[in-house]
Amino acid sequence: MAEVKAELVGNLWKIVVEVGQAVEEDDTLMILESMKMEIPITTPISGTVTQILVAEGQVVQEGQTVAVVE
Amino acid sequence: MTEPPEAPGLDELTAALRVRRERSRAMGGSERIGQQHSRHKLTARERMDLLFDAGTFVEFGLLAHQHSMTGGATEPERTPADGVVTGEGLVDGRRVYCAAYDFTVMAGSMGMIGEHKVARLRRKAMLNRLPMIWLLDSAGARIQEAAGSTFAGSGALFFEQVQMSGVVPQVAAMLGPCAAGTAYIPGLADYVPMVKETSSMSLGGARLVKAATGEETTDHAMGGSQVHCYVSGVGDLEVDDDAACLAAVREFLSFLPSNNRETAPRRETSDPRDRRVDELAKLVPVNPRAAYDMRKVIRRLADDAHVFEIKPTFARNIITAFARFDGRSVGIVASQPMIKGGALDIDAADKAARFVWLCDAFNVPLVFLQDVPGFIVGTEVEKQGIIRHGAKMLFAVSEATVPKVTVVLRKAYGAGYYVMCGRGYEPDTLVAWPTAEISVMGPEGAVDIIFSKQIAAADDPAAARAALAGTVRETIDPFIAASWAMVDDIIDPADTRRVIIESLEGAETKRPRRAWRKHGVPPV
Repeated sequence: MAEVKAELVGNLWKIVVEVGQAVEEDDTLMILESMKMEIPITTPISGTVTQILVAEGQVVQEGQTVAVVE
Repeated sequence: MTEPPEAPGLDELTAALRVRRERSRAMGGSERIGQQHSRHKLTARERMDLLFDAGTFVEFGLLAHQHSMTGGATEPERTPADGVVTGEGLVDGRRVYCAAYDFTVMAGSMGMIGEHKVARLRRKAMLNRLPMIWLLDSAGARIQEAAGSTFAGSGALFFEQVQMSGVVPQVAAMLGPCAAGTAYIPGLADYVPMVKETSSMSLGGARLVKAATGEETTDHAMGGSQVHCYVSGVGDLEVDDDAACLAAVREFLSFLPSNNRETAPRRETSDPRDRRVDELAKLVPVNPRAAYDMRKVIRRLADDAHVFEIKPTFARNIITAFARFDGRSVGIVASQPMIKGGALDIDAADKAARFVWLCDAFNVPLVFLQDVPGFIVGTEVEKQGIIRHGAKMLFAVSEATVPKVTVVLRKAYGAGYYVMCGRGYEPDTLVAWPTAEISVMGPEGAVDIIFSKQIAAADDPAAARAALAGTVRETIDPFIAASWAMVDDIIDPADTRRVIIESLEGAETKRPRRAWRKHGVPPV
């Protein structure tokens, strides 16, 4: 199981996966808008997305868990 | 009257010498060597064979061994060479000094005689102005010899390492444990490769930690490469085994001169100096919000696509790497838009500052590749001390007097532009691609500050904000900077390699003079 965390503070622009979806290591789960850039949040492991803990448009903090992959 | 016993002849004496030498060379014996191998570690002598050019190693202190500190009998056969192999040899034809701790002898613990041998090496390194290499695989100070208040006289090794800093290159290769105060050897060294799984370093080993604080851990969990090459930044490269580690040491040395009065050896290349790099246009998206891998850009610019990264797995939002341009050794500091958008944080600033100081100390020119949206801002980074860490990078880049070339690929925002060697930091050449965005901040940030009243008073604030942002965006244009002669040129990205090489050549005779001072007061 891996808790996927935001690397830096930013506006959660897009969520590109759904709960239950199968993902491969390094797949993009969400895109953060921060520091004038679109910054992908990727999964460190392959598995299934079991939880999405944030909503589009929300500000997320550095280190905040945004999703869980098992 | 009896005849006096006949003195042994020279043949006998040399035979006895051979026996002693063989005994010392056998290190801790076949059983311990077997254990060392079963842990996927080479012996000190096997490591030295990999470090040095074949047949060039000359050993000092082979016949040394431990002496009893308590008046007991000495047992030379227990401590061959007193647990550390010391000597000199050639690396790519250039002489270096090396101390290799021998884990098969009392767990490579640092005894008094062994440390005399290493101290002699450090002095030779300074006398001859040649690099010093430590191959570390040691349980730490030999407590049997060191416990008690004679400790009051110890510690000069670190003082000496500090005196050596910036005069001769220092490498601490981590090939096993390195616990307690001896962890300051890598702490003060210029380059610290670590072997995965087998190496570790920590100011207190696991047993000491348990005694001091009650915390339960292991040397590896606390100080393995997974900590130091990824999180703490003390390690410079994680490698899979001893052979890869020693290859990395040789490679690192190839980019540096033997001392601070020389320049790194130039390496012949068949890569044309004016090679156009047309692929860059495809690699770097014009959309400034889109990320790409800057490592690919660097590989295409460098001679023969050969790049040697320092701290590749730590603070990956900035890249620090050695490469060659037309055969000359060059240090590259580059934004990495793929990680954190290339924005700078405390670790990135530390990593870059340290690398710039290293290159400047050893006359290695610097190339800055900018695509930097700025320093990360906010409450979290302020708690981390982003101001003093960012100031450290400013300090290092300002101090550097080696040739400096800056290329702005896309973003060059705010203090990010400064610390990546913007115009005020005396780059010898500063060029921009047509895609460059140089500005104190982006259009959206700027409108909210400049036009806050107009936006608030508008019937449709969102539309007003968008329109005003458009006006600001028009002022972010590299041709404006070029028209004020604030950048030296705007170049076709495909010409970047040629421009870097010509600029470095043009700055070769540079001799900047700065006001005398004992030293600055760098932020840390």
